[in-house]
Amino acid sequence: MKRLDRRRWPGDALWTWLCAGCVALSLFMLITLLTLLVARGLGHFWPAPLEALTLHSGEQVIGQPVREAPLPHGAGSERLYFTGNRELNGADWRWVALDDIAAVNEPEDAIRLERSPWGDVTGRLAALEVEGERLTGAPARARLQSLLALPAGQRPRGELVLTTAQGSPLVQPLATITAFQAPNALSTLEKAGVWGQGVWRFLSEGPRAANTGGGVWPAIFGTLLMVIVMSVIVTPFGVLAAIYLNEIAHQNRLTRLVRIGVRNLAGVPSIVYGVFGLGVFVYGIGGSIDTWFFDEALPSPTFGTGGLLWASLTLALLTLPVVIVATEEGLARIPDAQREGALALGATRLEMLTRVVLPMATPAMLTGVILAVARAAGEVAPLMLVGVAKLAPQMPLDGEFPYLHLERKFMHLGYHLFDTAFHGDDVEAAIPLVYATALLLVLIVLVLNLTAIFLRHHLRRQQGGSWSRS
Amino acid sequence: MKRCIRPDRPCAHLALWLLLWLAAPAWAAAPVSGTLGATGSDTMASLVLRWGEALTARHPGINVQFQAGGSSIAPSALVAGTTRLAPMSRPMSPEEREQFQRRYGYAPVELRVARDALVVVVHRHNPLKALTLSTLDAIFSTTRACGAPAPVSRWEELLPTGDWPYGRIALHGRNLASGTHDLFRQRALCGGHFRDDISEYPGSAAVVAAVGESPRAMGYTGYHHLTPMVQPLGLIDAAGETIMPTPETIQNGEYPLSRYLYLYVNVAPGEALPPAERAFIELIMSEQGQRIVRAAGFVPLPADELEPLS
Amino acid sequence: MTRPALPARTPWRQLQDRIATGLITAAGIGVLLAILAIGVFLFWETLPLLTRFETLSLERLSPLAWGTLKAAIAALVVALPLALGGAIYSALFMSERLRARIKPILELMEAVPGVVVGFVAGLVLAPWVERHLASALALVVWLPLCAVLAGLLWHATPARLRGWLPLGRAGLWLLPWMAAMAVLALWAAPMIEQRWLGDDLVTLLDRRFGLDYTTRNTLIVGLAMGFAVIPGVYSLAEDALHDVPRSLMEGAQALGASRWQALWKVALPMAGPGIFSAAMIGAGRAVGETMIVLMASSNAALISLSPFEGLRSFSAAIAIELPEAPPGGLTYHLLILAALVLFLFTFLVNTLAETVRQRLRRRYRSGGGR
Repeated sequence: MKRLDRRRWPGDALWTWLCAGCVALSLFMLITLLTLLVARGLGHFWPAPLEALTLHSGEQVIGQPVREAPLPHGAGSERLYFTGNRELNGADWRWVALDDIAAVNEPEDAIRLERSPWGDVTGRLAALEVEGERLTGAPARARLQSLLALPAGQRPRGELVLTTAQGSPLVQPLATITAFQAPNALSTLEKAGVWGQGVWRFLSEGPRAANTGGGVWPAIFGTLLMVIVMSVIVTPFGVLAAIYLNEIAHQNRLTRLVRIGVRNLAGVPSIVYGVFGLGVFVYGIGGSIDTWFFDEALPSPTFGTGGLLWASLTLALLTLPVVIVATEEGLARIPDAQREGALALGATRLEMLTRVVLPMATPAMLTGVILAVARAAGEVAPLMLVGVAKLAPQMPLDGEFPYLHLERKFMHLGYHLFDTAFHGDDVEAAIPLVYATALLLVLIVLVLNLTAIFLRHHLRRQQGGSWSRS
Repeated sequence: MKRCIRPDRPCAHLALWLLLWLAAPAWAAAPVSGTLGATGSDTMASLVLRWGEALTARHPGINVQFQAGGSSIAPSALVAGTTRLAPMSRPMSPEEREQFQRRYGYAPVELRVARDALVVVVHRHNPLKALTLSTLDAIFSTTRACGAPAPVSRWEELLPTGDWPYGRIALHGRNLASGTHDLFRQRALCGGHFRDDISEYPGSAAVVAAVGESPRAMGYTGYHHLTPMVQPLGLIDAAGETIMPTPETIQNGEYPLSRYLYLYVNVAPGEALPPAERAFIELIMSEQGQRIVRAAGFVPLPADELEPLS
Repeated sequence: MTRPALPARTPWRQLQDRIATGLITAAGIGVLLAILAIGVFLFWETLPLLTRFETLSLERLSPLAWGTLKAAIAALVVALPLALGGAIYSALFMSERLRARIKPILELMEAVPGVVVGFVAGLVLAPWVERHLASALALVVWLPLCAVLAGLLWHATPARLRGWLPLGRAGLWLLPWMAAMAVLALWAAPMIEQRWLGDDLVTLLDRRFGLDYTTRNTLIVGLAMGFAVIPGVYSLAEDALHDVPRSLMEGAQALGASRWQALWKVALPMAGPGIFSAAMIGAGRAVGETMIVLMASSNAALISLSPFEGLRSFSAAIAIELPEAPPGGLTYHLLILAALVLFLFTFLVNTLAETVRQRLRRRYRSGGGR
């Protein structure tokens, strides 16, 4: 046996093992990518310790370590600290060569404040002065925590006194503070609580400081709303087109050509759909609607600019082939005997379709719609042309008549990611949020795809068990 | 006694602004609402977004939407009527102005809203500290319109003594649509042509990130994108003096690549602006607006240039 | 008569049926027309170019065309071997149970949005590769070797131990092995670089060969887009191989062929058209992918052969330049021409792939073999 293997080794096994390696390598790439996203995306919310450094020059620095990089000429490495205090230092970040550090400690009273509009502050909490009281130490932190839970309008007038790393006092009015963190005083359990809060705030709040801070809720909402409007458009049309192709049209050469055409449209690059959407929907139809109905608002455009409606329409067109193909697949699986049986019992074609064929094809349609939604949720390129906005703090859905504002621009997770990574003004601050956004987007799309896979699997098993097709 | 430690602003101002901040809800009592759309420069995106945040805080009914893409989008959006406010990081060209005039029969209103500068950046450990304008042109252009004798493409030519960084200068810049690209071509290249191997990025943050990662890189970006990953280069003027980009040299225009940032408004003469747009411009020209300019990393207008809205 | 005996087909029901059929037909044809409209619109908008055809436009488009091609080729160079190798292994060698799990996972790779891949490639991978070019290239050579090395070791181990790590599950248990080997390579490569090359590889390329190195270069685009193309190609090729009738393979093996010979002489020729169509679909995806190229390439409109220089593709140019191009201008029409080229190319490639695939399916159905 062993001899046989040796004899065959060169030609045979070499290639087999290379092929096995290909599978392993592909999986390896996927796992590396996901691990990177999870680690960096979720790790960002874990409160990093605030270190107080004493440099050899005697200078004091307070900051959160971010990452390390090698120095040129092999002269050791340096560490990046987030120091905040932009109005004092001119920058939020500071590189410190490791060799320059004389001492590091983590004082309990070191805190980091989020404020608007100046960005974050770090320093040591000297005192909290509120309603005539002056608190210091742990009670001050506890009181601050409870005060910040109140909305800005209801907080009592008060001030927070910090000592900056340089030793000078910094007075911060309570009303301008949005959040605070004292990571060194927290136990691991409390840190986990802060981490959970951080994740929740990321999911539920709007962006701050020109998209370099805060959360992504408007982007999540915009993505969901766009996808819902899109499915409302794409489902009926996709299903009708599939029914037409499979049940009504004569099955001849032309139908086959059309079917190939439809399938191929799924492979046409999404940017081409974006070009079509911009040229036809925005400039063409939107411009005309404006001149006919919203003449009084010109030159401010109503529909003649990118917006929710045009984006949804463009993506509906983009995902039509997906829905058509999936529905057709489902329809083709239904045995002709079912149709013939219904017709033989005297049903009209409409009744046959609505009472027999469609109920059986529903899971297939659903699969198609979910796949379409998954594709649309991850698509960015066409949206850049037809109506995604960098910041649209007002949701396209609100309490104002007519509630759903189809002409408004909206935020989208994928575009938000691209935008913060490329356009934001502080890349260092934005990158962790970009990781978190990327993770969120991947999760949404993966969950949608998994749903579709399970649905299809379930469907195949069910149908494979009950009917057999000749 | 505790001391206010805002080096540039006396305590009285702080108190005043605190007061105004707290009084903001009172202004909001006048119900100003509406959708405010702006399209244009992505250099100004962070600024417009911060103004938008402040405006929404003042008037919760106002909805600010901003589409960033580059200054060249702004005039075409103004002309096509897809926006009414167009922030631009460069002045409109005569052709763009004429196009607008042809379409509407009047000129767009030009407002100067802040000062900014283009800075040339290199890796934070790069030993190079300053460049002359003609060398800069020799590095970035094929035309050398500013009068450099020969093109410069390698670090050895810039730093004859050092051996680090070594090799070709990897150039990074902005895409064609951006005002930054255009302005750099006008001012630093004396209107010449860029080399064609410059990496073009669709955002300034990407330029800074790329330069900060590579010791062989040099790029240009807006002043407010500076981070400690990169170091700005000073520019050597005709008198041989090095001018670093600082708020002072940018505000008084001494730094050669400094510029105004503009807001173009489409409003017919004699017609009143819709209240949302009006509130937006009022905010920009207020001291709070200019404070936001500084918070966003730009340079405020000199005090005598704050024009009241007419 | 039989008619009255049936439940009455009242005129109202008949009418309803007619109306519904009419509506469905109208909607169906409408949708198909709307899809057709894309092509028509793109053609229509490029017509004005014919009236003012300038050589300038060719000059502006040719670097983009080259960039698109270069990016697609780079992606296929990465994706085809990996995807086809993976397909061969999972269709023919992998245990059926594992296959049912691994295949959907690999197909899920396709679901990772382009913007995420582009971000990781452009902002994480590209700077890392620039700093550790030698390590990155070493990995590319070392990892396939590791797979072979694993095979050698496996063949050398006694059969008793082999039972623990069967070939049918190798795709899975090779994973930790490869991870360990990757770590080893990353640890060793910088030392080898210092010892043998004496300098960092990027500097060396410049000194010895005068080669430029751009951070976001074709190599990065190829890796990132390869990642995006692998699942599509893999899935289709795997289907084609798996659909080859078992009887044929078993017959060949019964006649004394090894498994690999059976694959090479029987399965591959049978599934050839399917694999070809898979590769075509991969090419279509690679040509049109936008966000990855936009974020992972330098967007410099160059015509160069070097894998270490950047590129700019049609799709990226459309995405960043179209919103600022005033409708009706030369740039607008040129970019629409670029979109038309993309549309036609992908449409042709996909049609080709689809026709080949349908023919193949008919061949299998008609009894499996000529």
